[in-house]
Amino acid sequence: MAHPQIAAFARSAEGNARATRKIEGQGTLLCRTMHAIAYDEIHDEIVVPQPFGQAVLTFRGSARGEEAPIRVIQGPKTRLQNTAVLTLDAVNNELFVVERDGVLVFPREGNGDIAPRRILNPGVDLSAGGGIAVDPVHDLLILTGSEPGANRGEAGSAAGRDGLLVYNRTDQGKVRPRAFIGGPKSGITNITRVQVYPPRGWIIANISGQLGELASEGAFVGVWSITDKGDVPPRWTIGGPKGTLKKPRGLALDPKNKTLIVSDKRLNAVLTFAFPEIF
Amino acid sequence: MIEYSRNLRSALPTSRLTLFLIAGLISLIADSAPFSCVKVRAQAAAESATPPAKRAPLRVIRDRYSALSSVAVDLERNEVVGTDENLFQIVVYERLADTPRTAAMTEPKRVIGGLKTRIEFQCGVYIDPASGDIYSVNNDTVDKLVIFSRQAKGDVPPDRFLETPHGTFGIAVDEEKEELFLTVQHDNAVVVYRKTASGKDAPIRLLQGGRTGLADPHGIAIDTKNRLMFVANHGSVHSKMADPRLEGISSLQIKANWPLNEGAPGSGRILPPSITVYPLDASGDAIPLRVIQGPKAQLNWPAGLAVDPERGELYVANDMSDAVLVFRETDGGDAAPLRALRGPKTGIKNPTGVFLDKKNGELWIASFGNHTLTVYPPTAQGDTAPLRAIRSAPSEAPSLMIGNPGAVAYDQKREEILVPN
Repeated sequence: MAHPQIAAFARSAEGNARATRKIEGQGTLLCRTMHAIAYDEIHDEIVVPQPFGQAVLTFRGSARGEEAPIRVIQGPKTRLQNTAVLTLDAVNNELFVVERDGVLVFPREGNGDIAPRRILNPGVDLSAGGGIAVDPVHDLLILTGSEPGANRGEAGSAAGRDGLLVYNRTDQGKVRPRAFIGGPKSGITNITRVQVYPPRGWIIANISGQLGELASEGAFVGVWSITDKGDVPPRWTIGGPKGTLKKPRGLALDPKNKTLIVSDKRLNAVLTFAFPEIF
Repeated sequence: MIEYSRNLRSALPTSRLTLFLIAGLISLIADSAPFSCVKVRAQAAAESATPPAKRAPLRVIRDRYSALSSVAVDLERNEVVGTDENLFQIVVYERLADTPRTAAMTEPKRVIGGLKTRIEFQCGVYIDPASGDIYSVNNDTVDKLVIFSRQAKGDVPPDRFLETPHGTFGIAVDEEKEELFLTVQHDNAVVVYRKTASGKDAPIRLLQGGRTGLADPHGIAIDTKNRLMFVANHGSVHSKMADPRLEGISSLQIKANWPLNEGAPGSGRILPPSITVYPLDASGDAIPLRVIQGPKAQLNWPAGLAVDPERGELYVANDMSDAVLVFRETDGGDAAPLRALRGPKTGIKNPTGVFLDKKNGELWIASFGNHTLTVYPPTAQGDTAPLRAIRSAPSEAPSLMIGNPGAVAYDQKREEILVPN
């Protein structure tokens, strides 16, 4: 895309609403292809990946304009490589970055050229960078990938994102997941992002349809429980299949207003759905 | 977590029947109430009564209009072509079109768009001067250069396509040698193809490596008279290496002159922006002849480039300063621009595309930030109003500049939705 930016819109914005503020410009150190963004409500900070510079940037929560990040994780010790997908655990003060061979975990306040404090090697190819979420209430880490040992598809293909992998939050090294959710009944074909709602134990995932489709009638957001295992259908779906969503990407929750916010690549839009069932 | 706890207490199961009754009751109240907030709640409740899979969104943030990221002129047929990165279209206007101030917009005379076209997030465009063929560079999500004949219209497949590395941005063509140049953002590279290449054809040359100075390359311009190539760089870079997953695969199966695309872990750097200058036939890990870089140069996310070999001038669409900067072709180091076109009268906002029409003596700018293509004399400087402007949206409609929103977050404190590109 022609212009990297982080745009902020009012919760009630719709249509051609003007952004309330933007973070943009050379001084921000941003680049395009931010496949993740985390807002840390406790510390009032925004965290994004910077894939071209292999970095993680943290901004003040109120940052605007050409404002520099307050912290930058970058350098040889970091082992950052693709750096497109990350999540934040603001409760336990940790930052999780998905890389091809594993998940790098940094201290939330990390800055500069620092080594990860631990690395999870799930034994599946994560290079497609589907999604990651942390449930600090149940101490779980959710990843997207193929069932370990299933050897589905080519490395980096959508087939590598055909399930949800549930780990303990602090797992490290080569560990098998506690659970794998996937299979024909699950409807999972290509997960792009994951969220969790810890109070109710939900895993919320974007199902984006087949790789190569520019838009998919099979796209939807599905909700599973952290207790689910194997080939189980979602508890709910929203936005599809054969619904509004064409290629869902980002996911965010607004518990106060009981809504789910979804960004969609094909619609090049951000959609807000009422979803009281999950809150 | 505070919010989670609050919702945990209040999140009691509610049957769909109850929700339906509540929605109906609120709707009745809302119809007679003067307060819009009640109506909004009624809408939310009504939507909640619909099964989630069929539920319409409460709100959609979406730019409804064409956001123009690059521009080129068909000099033979007097048409101007823009890439619409927002609605995934190629839009064609009469070259002399000029949107009246009172008009909402100018309707394009021709639109190419739809799923069959394989267009998404295109950032570069080139017009074949002889045939009028339109070359449109898909920057993201579709790793193909798509080529349409001048007759193409609507949702039609491209007449030709070329598989490219991921993240191509700028395009330039050497008509004499029939060579086509593309910048590659993700791989910090320039790939050169035969102009007639199609399908899986391999590039004939590759410029890539740590010495090239390529760093998130965007626009490209070539000077065939003085045999020079110019590339605009945003500055982010990391070292590339062979993909270890390709070990053991026969070299015959690996495309020639294909950029290395595996990042060396921990090698990332974020450098100041630059314009790098090379011999036109540069390849391999070639060192640039010179580099424009530094505070006097005023570069801030430089994007599209155009060159005037006769005047020896280089035009830079400088996205973040709402300006077009003009340098001498021979400039290097921390050179100040010769002149800058910038100011409220210019109508330039987040320019990402620039085209120099030597035949008619006009400079075209695509302003991604305000839905416009504007035209100036090539020597215009300062706060100069455009000769003409083509607007693709009402003047008051903001251009959201959302591009492949791969993620989203919610800022509970400010009640804001955060959307990165």
